[in-house]
Amino acid sequence: MTTFITRRILQTLAVIVILSYVCFYLMSLMPGDPVDMMVASNPKITAEDVARLKSLYGLDQPVYKRYASWMGSILQGDLGYSRTYRVPVQELMGPRLWNTFLLSAISLILSIAIAVPLGVLSALKPGSRTDYVVNLFSFGGISIPSFWLAIVLIILFAVKFPLLPAGGTQTIGAENMGFWADLKDRSIYLILPVLSLSIQQIGRFSRYTRSTMLEAMRNDFIRTARAKGLSRSTVIWQHGFRNALIPLITILALSFSGLFSGAILTETVFAYQGVGKLVYDSIIGNDYNVAMISFVISVSMVLLMNLVADILYGFADPRISYQ
Amino acid sequence: MSEMTMNEVEIETNQLSSKDRAELEKAQPMWKMVLTQFMDHKLAVTGAVIITIFMLIAIFAGTIQSITDIDPDAQNVGNRYLAPLTTAQVGQDVRETEIERFITENPEAADAVQKALVTKEIVAVAEADAIYELGAKETTEAISALQSLSLKEAAGLISLFKSFETFHLFGTDELGRDVFIRLVYGTRVSMGVGVLVAIASALIGLLIGSIAGFYGGLVDTVLMRVTDALLSLPHIPVLIVIAAIDMSKIPWLKAIISTSNESIFKMIIILCLFSWMSVARLVRGSILSIREREFVLAARTLGAKDSTIIVRHMFPNVIAPMLVAITLGVGESILFEAALSFLGLGIMPPTPSWGNMLNNAQELIYQAPFLAILPGLLIFLTTVSFNYLGDGLQDAIDPKAIRR
Amino acid sequence: MLKKFAKGLCLVAGLGLSIQAVAAPTNAELKIGISQEFETMNPLIMSMSASAYMYRMVGRSLVVLTPEGKWVTQLAKEIPSLEKGTAKIIEEGGKKKIVANWEIIESAKWGDGKPVICQDFITSHTIATSPTVSVGEKEQWTQVEKIDIDPKNPKKCTFKYEKAKWDFFTLAQFFPVPTHLEKPVFDKYSKQKEGYEKNSNYVRNPTNPGLYNGPYVISDVKLGSHVTFAPNPNFYGKQPNIKKVIVKLIPNTGTMEANLRSGTIDMISTLGLDLDQALAFDKKAKAEKLAFDTHFVPSVTYEHIDLRLDNPILKDVNVRKALLYSINREDLVKALFENKQQVALHNVSPKDPWFTADPKIITVYRYSKREAGKLLDAAGWTMGKDGYRYKDGKKLSVVFQTTAGNKTRELVQVYLQNQWKQAGIEVLIKNEPARVFFGDTMSKRKFDGLALFAWVSSPENSPRSTVYSKAIPNNSNGWSGQNYHGWTNATVDKNLEALDLEFNAKKRADLVHEILKLYTAEVPVLPLYYRSDISVTPKNLKNYKMAGHQFYETNNIEDWNLN
Repeated sequence: MTTFITRRILQTLAVIVILSYVCFYLMSLMPGDPVDMMVASNPKITAEDVARLKSLYGLDQPVYKRYASWMGSILQGDLGYSRTYRVPVQELMGPRLWNTFLLSAISLILSIAIAVPLGVLSALKPGSRTDYVVNLFSFGGISIPSFWLAIVLIILFAVKFPLLPAGGTQTIGAENMGFWADLKDRSIYLILPVLSLSIQQIGRFSRYTRSTMLEAMRNDFIRTARAKGLSRSTVIWQHGFRNALIPLITILALSFSGLFSGAILTETVFAYQGVGKLVYDSIIGNDYNVAMISFVISVSMVLLMNLVADILYGFADPRISYQ
Repeated sequence: MSEMTMNEVEIETNQLSSKDRAELEKAQPMWKMVLTQFMDHKLAVTGAVIITIFMLIAIFAGTIQSITDIDPDAQNVGNRYLAPLTTAQVGQDVRETEIERFITENPEAADAVQKALVTKEIVAVAEADAIYELGAKETTEAISALQSLSLKEAAGLISLFKSFETFHLFGTDELGRDVFIRLVYGTRVSMGVGVLVAIASALIGLLIGSIAGFYGGLVDTVLMRVTDALLSLPHIPVLIVIAAIDMSKIPWLKAIISTSNESIFKMIIILCLFSWMSVARLVRGSILSIREREFVLAARTLGAKDSTIIVRHMFPNVIAPMLVAITLGVGESILFEAALSFLGLGIMPPTPSWGNMLNNAQELIYQAPFLAILPGLLIFLTTVSFNYLGDGLQDAIDPKAIRR
Repeated sequence: MLKKFAKGLCLVAGLGLSIQAVAAPTNAELKIGISQEFETMNPLIMSMSASAYMYRMVGRSLVVLTPEGKWVTQLAKEIPSLEKGTAKIIEEGGKKKIVANWEIIESAKWGDGKPVICQDFITSHTIATSPTVSVGEKEQWTQVEKIDIDPKNPKKCTFKYEKAKWDFFTLAQFFPVPTHLEKPVFDKYSKQKEGYEKNSNYVRNPTNPGLYNGPYVISDVKLGSHVTFAPNPNFYGKQPNIKKVIVKLIPNTGTMEANLRSGTIDMISTLGLDLDQALAFDKKAKAEKLAFDTHFVPSVTYEHIDLRLDNPILKDVNVRKALLYSINREDLVKALFENKQQVALHNVSPKDPWFTADPKIITVYRYSKREAGKLLDAAGWTMGKDGYRYKDGKKLSVVFQTTAGNKTRELVQVYLQNQWKQAGIEVLIKNEPARVFFGDTMSKRKFDGLALFAWVSSPENSPRSTVYSKAIPNNSNGWSGQNYHGWTNATVDKNLEALDLEFNAKKRADLVHEILKLYTAEVPVLPLYYRSDISVTPKNLKNYKMAGHQFYETNNIEDWNLN
């Protein structure tokens, strides 16, 4: 097991490095570098300006050289400087990463807490009224376009019935009011975005839980367990649910890996200060340092979560063994 | 159903006549069983019906256009954002074009009408301008004027004037185009893209996932790391790079791609590229656990080939999660397409798709709510239907779920 | 479950009804919504419009252009001129140069009470022209060759300009930076690439009042979220009425209105709504008697279609004219913009003193399908059975590109496509994200038909970069210049060269008019419309005057009043 984990971590690291180069290369493949963009918006920029800026930004160097120098400074702990916002990357991204993490973690935990029991419940009584309602709700959740849902929520709860703020992260100028007041303030701003993210995730998760659970409950050993006279809850949770875990773990790992990459649409619509919009803008605006750091973070999260999922497979199903 | 004890089954069969028993014991073909099972699931059947209707709409969009006689590209900028169930008069420039075409095509009829119009003093202009002058009037007024001529040559012109008044079932959009017919054409694009992408990506995912899961070892490692890599690869730069490629310049694609459909091709490629990975991981996870099951071991002991084991023994076991993935995939592709229009990488105007119609309407959600509600509702309905269909199919196909 | 949900909704509805409508803002606080991202507000380096919008609240330059299009003084006592003798043309090394006297007003101070002196301009000039600092448009700094301070008065100095250009005094973006704060930073980091910009006080300590000399100082800034402004007690002019201004970023224009209605913001800035949204909001605000005014003000932004002149079809001037005759721009403006934007005649906007609509000077193209048909017939393109025109078996078909995702442009594009179809011209749409469109297709001249986009300029701005034959981007000039259509005309070139050096306003206008005459006769570009600037303000906001050009209305913010 330990060797397996070590080996996988090493593999993962290698993939991260390779991918970071791929991303760097992709960024350079995109037509129009930062200087081209500047020229397009300002007719007064001259050919000399272009040459000067390109050499200042190092854009006249070949890609691998630029990548090497970027990697070099990363290894020294310097994340670089955002050329769009003109501040160091860690200052720009730190608080936003935290905001995004809060938003996605809360909605993820909320959705799992609601969706898994719902899914199990409907799987135990397929075709029942409960099953119907749960299905309807989850299909509805999956099928609503996210920005549509977000806008409707704003119109309902901020304009028609002004109970909650229409957007933002916290009340402006109300940052140091003590822990509890701060917490309350931030929670109020989180309600709508969390709601709009969760409604969709609950649908997804409960569907998957239901279908895998249904599958698991049809196994022969469930019948045997029942025949043995084991209690209903033992049969469901120890025998049934455990066998439903494998696909669930896959789906959850995939969702967890998005914790830091942010939900562009939700964050944009709610003017929430997360990392999603920043990442999008940095790629569009060719803000290399910001984009690369966010690539590395999101790539690492995905790979890490896949690793975790693979390890968990072993625990969930003893038949799967890793050498 | 599983609660039923063997005894009860015994008793039931005993009561059957020998003829019924023979009927029962006769092996039913697979498809029949599947169908019977499927028909039991009411909502799935409803979903299937809705999808069939949409498919028919998509296929017969052209016929619908010729029946209703509404052009999806016909603009009427004087009548933008009309509410549903309203009629509108077409713009002056369109009328002139149509009248001009009528006159060149039917010079004699036009001549007769022109003469009559002037002699009966309905219009007070030169003969050559008489019909144009009529065109500038209210449609109903013009038609009654034409009818008052009681000329048989005027019949063609009357029907032309009647076409100047258009009825809009679902209102009009930002250029005064008919929303109904655009939704009909949008169905074609959105359903086409959604279904195609979902199936293609499920097949790719199935292939890669099962190979990785079955062989394990180095094959698994390499394939799964590639999957991971693609899964974690940021979408936006890839999208932009693809957007910059001029596909019509690639020789072997030249035959099928033109400027007007290039965006649809790009859309399908982009969506396929980014949507097979989760299926692959799902399939691999299931196969990993199936691989160690007894029946696989048995098959292997009996000397079955790898391909036989994968196709005969493992695929049936992953069909259920696959179906869920495909049916979810259709809806997701349709939604993804909408999100791509948001980034400026969607289907090019003037081709309508549900995604770009919804996206165009979102900023005017206060002013013309119908414009956003209708495509949103169609997306919603389609996605829900596909999900129920998948649900029903899953129950019906899965041998373990068959209710006897 | 559904019942519970319905019950919940009723409960929420009950709660909601008991809450009062949003109150009108007062002078205590004004919250402005903005939809574009902003950056650190270092006046030497910033390049985003949103930053420029906000910087006008905290920083002033020597002179500025008023909304009426007049140059007036701000930090300067008076505008130097040749007539008054406060500026003169000299000759140095065979080149004509200008020397001008500038004097900073006595009361001009930084937010920390230190006076604004000529040395501050020298500091910003030194920093901006340093090779390690990434200033975009360097010419506005390098046009000043040298600044000499009067030894007797630190507020008096002479600027020596590199060239003798008539517009030497238009230094609206020649911002000073506080020497006592920024010079030490620059000295320390000037050797390092981009070292100054990373460590400048504008980045490290943006709430230091000493960095600003306008009516406000920045009291809080959070990139990607908001900026808060507080009055600057050391401002040279009158103290602002509004005690606190917050500019809040709302990245999604679709929710801008919801934010306004819910009171999260009190007004929407120029960088906020789309025209379509504003038109609809205006109507609804009037119908519902909301306490908001929607402003539409013509701006200098010029929307047009560049034609690729070396395209074999578009090479023919008759085809180009036919393209223009066959589109009904009056109808377009009426139907899509409800006449809130004006039809464009050429590349000079009506806000510009150089504007002319005189039919004796320019050719005016009124919509006429018949005229277009005649021209196309003359050019050999005859109508085929399918409603499109053909010549030698080839269809009259061109590719039409613009920025994908820009709703107004895509709307206009489809409208025009339909009109050209009526004239027998097939137009194929092929849009690209702005990134690809500007960064590659246009700048590398890869488009081969029609390209719809806008130029933003300011009044009396030489059109050199877009019509000068040397401004055609190509490999040898490093793809610089914006003459994307590739128009070359010797007279135009000659006039452009003369224009910069012409000190007589009347003669300058004549030179421009001759360019416009050729521009409208040869049709290298299809002019569409001049865009309007849009904003929404609370009804009780007084003295608000929109600029319509790049020196935003926030320049008058000290006059705004909410009482």
